[in-house]
Amino acid sequence: MNDNTQLAQRNDGAVVQRPEEKGARKITLVPAVDIVEDVNGVTLWADLPGVSRENLQVSFNDGALHIEGQAIVPTPSSLRVQHAEIRQPHFARSFSLSPDLDAAQIGAVLQDGVLKLTIPRREEARPRRIPINLA
Amino acid sequence: MTDALFGTDLFDEFDRLQRQMTGLFGGFPSSIRAGRAGAFPAINIGATDDSIEIVAFAPGLKQEDIEVTIDRGLLTISGERRPLWQHDMPESRRYAQERFVGAFRRVIELPEGADPDKVQARYANGCLSVSVGKREASRPRAITVQ
Repeated sequence: MNDNTQLAQRNDGAVVQRPEEKGARKITLVPAVDIVEDVNGVTLWADLPGVSRENLQVSFNDGALHIEGQAIVPTPSSLRVQHAEIRQPHFARSFSLSPDLDAAQIGAVLQDGVLKLTIPRREEARPRRIPINLA
Repeated sequence: MTDALFGTDLFDEFDRLQRQMTGLFGGFPSSIRAGRAGAFPAINIGATDDSIEIVAFAPGLKQEDIEVTIDRGLLTISGERRPLWQHDMPESRRYAQERFVGAFRRVIELPEGADPDKVQARYANGCLSVSVGKREASRPRAITVQ
């Protein structure tokens, strides 16, 4: 079954200001994601160009999954920027997870600037056929 | 309205919006070949005294899927990003598809002094860095006052 129900919507080039960091006035970019669910759980891919493993944090607290990363591109020190489409190379995005997903078993792989998160369903929440007994 | 409702106050939001607009339309006039705003991959360009440095934010590509060419002062970055997800996967539902998929091409007009024989390209962490050397004659130099 292929449903195309768009749950998450992203405004292209959206800039989000995190209220708790008001003092620092940190502006973050919202990374583009693909989200697919199958019988085993939810898989999420996020574009995080320039983010290395050391500069990426994936955390889960209060029922929400947080992805945060800082892109660092090695450049010569005397560089004068002439044109910039990505000005604040700080990515952040959060998703709330329903309790049928097992946050303790989240798998994360970062390759070529793409983060892949696999969030399995809890065993008891997996779909199963219920046998019907004859009376 | 209070901060409790919106998280940030309204003037902060206007301030942010204005900065964003200035960033989009202000500054340098954009090239006729620049394409629409938000095209994939996003590109930053800078210069040092002896080179022009270009960074393309192009995550999730294979090295062999990226092509960098220089032709008469035009640097072209092209390639194709393949979808990670197939439509024929059984029992799957797609909730979001925001990541760019398909063929892309970005063209950068190199300045007069760029040397097409001195180009280096490197792909790491989903970023393509291209460094184009400058000709000796176009490097900045101090001019002695007589």
